[in-house]
Amino acid sequence: MGGPPYDCMANPLGAVRLTFEKAIGLGSETVTHPSAFEGKDWGALELFRHFLFQESGLSKVPILNPKTLRWVQHNSLVRYRGMIQDMLGNEFYVGAYRDDGSSWRTNKFTDFSQYPMQSPSDTCIWERRLLYCVPVPGQSSWAEPSCDMDPNWSPQRREKRRRMDGEDSDPMDLVPEDEVKSSPITKKMREDGLPSTSPEPMDLKTASSSSGMSTVQFVDKDNLPCLVKIYDSPESDLKLNDVFEFIGVLTFDSELAVEKDDNELSNSFYDDALVHMPPNKVPRLHCIVHRKLAVHDFLPGSPIMEPKPHLVKEIREALFRHLTAVLGNDGVAAHFMLLHLLSKVHTRVDDVAIGKLSLNLIGLSKESVSVFGTRLTQTFKSLLPCTKCLPLTLEYLNTASLAPKKDYQTNRLIPGVLQLPEGSHLMVDETQLESGSLNSIGIENTKILKNLIEFQKVEYDFQFYKVEMAADIQLLIFSDGKSNIVPADVIVPFQPSALESSEIPVAEALEAWRWYLATVKSLPHSIGSEMQKVVEDDLVAARQADRSLGSQDFSRWLTMARLISSSLGETCLSLEHWQMVKELERLRNERLK
Amino acid sequence: MASDSSPANFNNGPSSPDGSFSSPIPNTSSPAHRRRRGRRQAPTPSSAAATPPPNPSRFANSGSTPTPSRSTKRGRRPDTSPTPAAAATPSSTDDFPPPSSDGGDDMEEATPTFVWGTNISVQDVKNAIQMFIKHFRDAQELSNDIYGEGKYTRMIHRVLEVEGEWIDVDAHDVFNYDSDLYNKMMRYPLEVLAIFDIVLMDIVSLINPLFDKHVQVRIHNLKSSTSMRNLNPSDIEKMVSLKGMVIRCSSIIPEIREAVFRCIVCGYHSDPIVVDRGRITEPTACLKQECMAKNSMTLVHNRCRFADKQIVRLQETPDEIPEGGTPHTVSLLMHDKLVDAGKPGDRVEVTGIYRAMSVRVGPTQRTTYIDCLHIKKNDKSRMTAEDPMEVDKGSQRVDDDVQFDEEKVEELKELSKQPDIYEKLTRSLAPNIWELDDVKKGLLCQLFGGNALVLPSGASFRGDINILLVGDPGTSKSQLLQYIHKLAPRGIYTSGRGSSAVGLTAYVAKDPETGETVLESGALVLSDRGICCIDEFDKMSDNARSMLHEVMEQQTVSIAKAGIIASLNARTSVLACANPSGSRYNPRLSVIDNIHLPPTLLSRFDLIYLILDKADEQTDRRLAKHIVSLHFEDTEIAEHDVIDLATLTAYVSYARKNIHPKLSDEAAEELTRGYVEMRKRGNFPGSSKKVITATPRQIESLIRLSEALARIRFSEWVEMRDVTEAFRLLEVAMQQSATDHSTGTIDMDLITTGVSASERMRRESVLSAARNIIMDKLQLGGPSVRLLELLEELKKQSSGSEIHLHDLRTAVATLASEGFVVLHGDSVKRI
Repeated sequence: MGGPPYDCMANPLGAVRLTFEKAIGLGSETVTHPSAFEGKDWGALELFRHFLFQESGLSKVPILNPKTLRWVQHNSLVRYRGMIQDMLGNEFYVGAYRDDGSSWRTNKFTDFSQYPMQSPSDTCIWERRLLYCVPVPGQSSWAEPSCDMDPNWSPQRREKRRRMDGEDSDPMDLVPEDEVKSSPITKKMREDGLPSTSPEPMDLKTASSSSGMSTVQFVDKDNLPCLVKIYDSPESDLKLNDVFEFIGVLTFDSELAVEKDDNELSNSFYDDALVHMPPNKVPRLHCIVHRKLAVHDFLPGSPIMEPKPHLVKEIREALFRHLTAVLGNDGVAAHFMLLHLLSKVHTRVDDVAIGKLSLNLIGLSKESVSVFGTRLTQTFKSLLPCTKCLPLTLEYLNTASLAPKKDYQTNRLIPGVLQLPEGSHLMVDETQLESGSLNSIGIENTKILKNLIEFQKVEYDFQFYKVEMAADIQLLIFSDGKSNIVPADVIVPFQPSALESSEIPVAEALEAWRWYLATVKSLPHSIGSEMQKVVEDDLVAARQADRSLGSQDFSRWLTMARLISSSLGETCLSLEHWQMVKELERLRNERLK
Repeated sequence: MASDSSPANFNNGPSSPDGSFSSPIPNTSSPAHRRRRGRRQAPTPSSAAATPPPNPSRFANSGSTPTPSRSTKRGRRPDTSPTPAAAATPSSTDDFPPPSSDGGDDMEEATPTFVWGTNISVQDVKNAIQMFIKHFRDAQELSNDIYGEGKYTRMIHRVLEVEGEWIDVDAHDVFNYDSDLYNKMMRYPLEVLAIFDIVLMDIVSLINPLFDKHVQVRIHNLKSSTSMRNLNPSDIEKMVSLKGMVIRCSSIIPEIREAVFRCIVCGYHSDPIVVDRGRITEPTACLKQECMAKNSMTLVHNRCRFADKQIVRLQETPDEIPEGGTPHTVSLLMHDKLVDAGKPGDRVEVTGIYRAMSVRVGPTQRTTYIDCLHIKKNDKSRMTAEDPMEVDKGSQRVDDDVQFDEEKVEELKELSKQPDIYEKLTRSLAPNIWELDDVKKGLLCQLFGGNALVLPSGASFRGDINILLVGDPGTSKSQLLQYIHKLAPRGIYTSGRGSSAVGLTAYVAKDPETGETVLESGALVLSDRGICCIDEFDKMSDNARSMLHEVMEQQTVSIAKAGIIASLNARTSVLACANPSGSRYNPRLSVIDNIHLPPTLLSRFDLIYLILDKADEQTDRRLAKHIVSLHFEDTEIAEHDVIDLATLTAYVSYARKNIHPKLSDEAAEELTRGYVEMRKRGNFPGSSKKVITATPRQIESLIRLSEALARIRFSEWVEMRDVTEAFRLLEVAMQQSATDHSTGTIDMDLITTGVSASERMRRESVLSAARNIIMDKLQLGGPSVRLLELLEELKKQSSGSEIHLHDLRTAVATLASEGFVVLHGDSVKRI
């Protein structure tokens, strides 16, 4: 056979079916019962993996967003990047069935059966997971994936489609391979034993109704949620708030929504969540391949660089200068800011999250926040993939829903402001807070904030009980005095000496810094036994000298030590770094006096 | 295009004529199938139910009027299932005597009926069930009286007497009697339960032919229960049992069971038509021979029969949710009596049949639900109603409500047998807080608790152990408190500063709508039978603290205000922690002086621990090492041999529930001896005055502690070693808190009055010395003397002991109050 008889891009289902039929041995004497493939892959995955990663098909796959949704084809291969916002449980579906020609067919990766199903006895029920995904909250514009699609592709398609609308009896299929479109009635096996791999009639139907597709109203133009259906993947793979890229078959159907379910019984059984998410509002993606996105994956065209110490130091120096300029020439604050931006939760021992370094800049008034706050916001947006800002006013505290809450009416998890993916940056501006009384929501919210900063955990409210979810959010707080609502690890009195706005960094520099922040963050870290001794002795001595020092202070020092050595691209703590920590703490303490 | 024009047809195509109840497992050809569908239906004539007709079509005819297509389908069925009769008989039949001769012969002649698609013979199952009902005996029944009636026969009689509608069958019983039947029931519940119902009706009609109610069987207590998360397609149409929390109940839906139609042309009323597979077949034409009008039949609503139905959503309990997941939910379908059996918030265990149903939303999708057979409410709190702390036995429920499955209990028992279980539990308690082992041991005792006792005279002794932690800031007192709060079966965590007296106990409020006065419970009442953790105890207002007196000894809260006089139970252990009155503990002052707590309250604590931050390099080094290792060993800190929180909780609640240790003779002996010893110790040489070292409150504490220690070992007897350990614990706690710093002996006076005996003695000696000097030096009505001069004199006389100015001042003040001298500023004048 010359070349594959399918097109993974435009007709992924064809490929799936083909592999399925091959796997069960269709056409041969011994037909394997499809139940053998329950919860298993029969070779389709391999095919797609090969196409995506070996043949570099990945970049050709369109990214699903409100823009592309207008022209992306129903039942074609798309990819979607998003955060798992809610899990809707498992769905059972008819995975395999016998058609009226009594040969086995599969429904995997689709919502519709291609052929009419015969008796219910000849069906295999399989299961898939439903995940409700939303675009990554607070994603910076640079981190959004660019789709380098062939610009001619879409109009051409549209034209074709429009033409098809006119003569809807046109049996020619859209797929490049000249496959004969066969209606269910005239469906027959092709002579070479290969079944027709054409898209099902449903495809045509939706194509014809595609004129209505462009009029689909979204609640939010920039916010395209997606219902992802996951097949055969262990539960522990995908966790709430993880950011994933899903590559799979798109089902986006305005047809189904029109069909009002009159069966009251089945309606009340059916996941209420799905009733509230008609398929014409929320596209369905039948995921074939998924991969977790790390910070690295957000870097557009990421140059794979070895984090060499001299290179890292150079970039660090530049970034530090930039931060100093942004912070009005406050070097100490810039040092702490750099460490803060590199912090992340490495491990958790019981309740203690190790590696977090929240920063509280004090001495800021409303006016200075408007200058430096906006400047920092800009900087963070250009450096970090996900940032968010929380203006902590009394009204906000009393009304906002910070933690996600389960709504049992719709059976959905209502997202809260603090439902953020790992590694997000959150700025809390406390300078706007005025005295007044908190209501019960306000008290709850302050509790949630405090919990987040102390334990890096957010309690999700499931009404009958609360579930603690681990978070990894870098918190930066602006306040006049030390913040008690959000008690940070490091308190730095902010002392800017210049007000003039900093120069705008060039694009290359920004890219290097992004790369730096992403790479250095994940460097491993260790300590030599000699150094360990030095550190321990220092800690003991410090505690002998000042009894008020506690485990929190020690923990902070060690976190800073780790961050300093990683920020210099090194993986082992040296005496020099440790001295730097002590020096920084000394400078900070001087300011605090 | 055909496919284009008829999307609806296409969608409907796959959903078979079975409608919404299509199932992947084929239906039965036996009458059982029909019976199952009509299981919840009206009292069917018992004769029909009693002898299952061998010919399915006969039953179909008598039941309802099937449409032609249906009957052909039925007719075809037996052909498609040519199950050989020879292969059919399950091995288990050998164990049973042949079925009773009546009707049994009939069966032999007719072709044996099989559950469709399987080799399960209906007759075999029927026999097995009959045997089970007739011959099953409880273990205890077996030993008592073999010839009496079996458990379920008795149950049937009882149901008949009270005109009940169901019989609860314990699946364990079925398993113990006939594991083969149990397995069949698990795998083919629809069919087996239908047969079960038939057998039941057989028996019922034998006992009372006139009994016209339909008695159903309700299976519960399966051998294994599934987690909601693990339900998968292979469980469909199987019997499952799972636990969860009810989160939503639909309104009650009336579901039609029997429909009656009337011809609008001639007024002919049809016979009741029963529901078949969720559908009513509406007659297309009048059945009356004379009329035969087409499409004339209309439903007569008030002659139809409806049954209650409700859809309930069940959600996973928090402990089953894996990390990074959201709770799963599952729908339950409740019928008849089960409707409203659970309310939102209830923790329940349901037994039912897992089923899948096609939905119109997507023809290939299936929605799943559990056809509920049995629902059992679990207690909402982790601590059950029959808590050992609960004294009045009257409220104890004898029946099942098993909270721990056998496996878990075995595991816990195994754990308790370990020789170092006490140490192990101590280690596992707040493992990230080290040192403080004795404090942890005390807290462990508090968690397990002693036995409460009520004497016939009405006097009661509490079983709860109260603990006070006093210590320097930053010594992880609060962390300990938080940890205990998390672990305790029920508990409230409050901070002293934010608690008012009414907030802790109970308060009377006016209902804004009705204007009625209502009693609202406070923290202590809410933590009844739990642990009330009070942080910052010293910062609590005196008023609030005084409320604790009653709670801590009498274990009640009495309210008398606004027309409500009530006494509420507050059988709670109090775990309080306090900071010393200065920021740090001043070792030169007594506990009372360090924490401004009234001695009356202080004495109610069984154990008072002082957690002092000693400037000890060794400790500091450990801290440094610990933190460094936290940060640099990316692998988890090796927590050697620690019991996880869940097991610990289970261990504690099991022990509290099931272990009630009693004092053995030798332990009682030891207690007496030790107590006498303790009191003797106050009798130090060279002193004529006895120092009271122990009070009756301490012996109560000791008993509680030793009981708790026995409970830790799952031992029903308090042994010698428990008592010894209890003494040690008390001593460790007291040596820290009740040490008289001037003598070094234990002195309970320090706690009960705030002044130590030796201090009192010293004051008295100063007083008498001062009196002597004044008698000597001062003339009656003579010139006054300055205090400093007196001090010089006093020091000269009593060389050795050091006397301070303020000691003298107190002594002189006492003398002044006696009218012996007058004190003007610094000058003393004798009068």
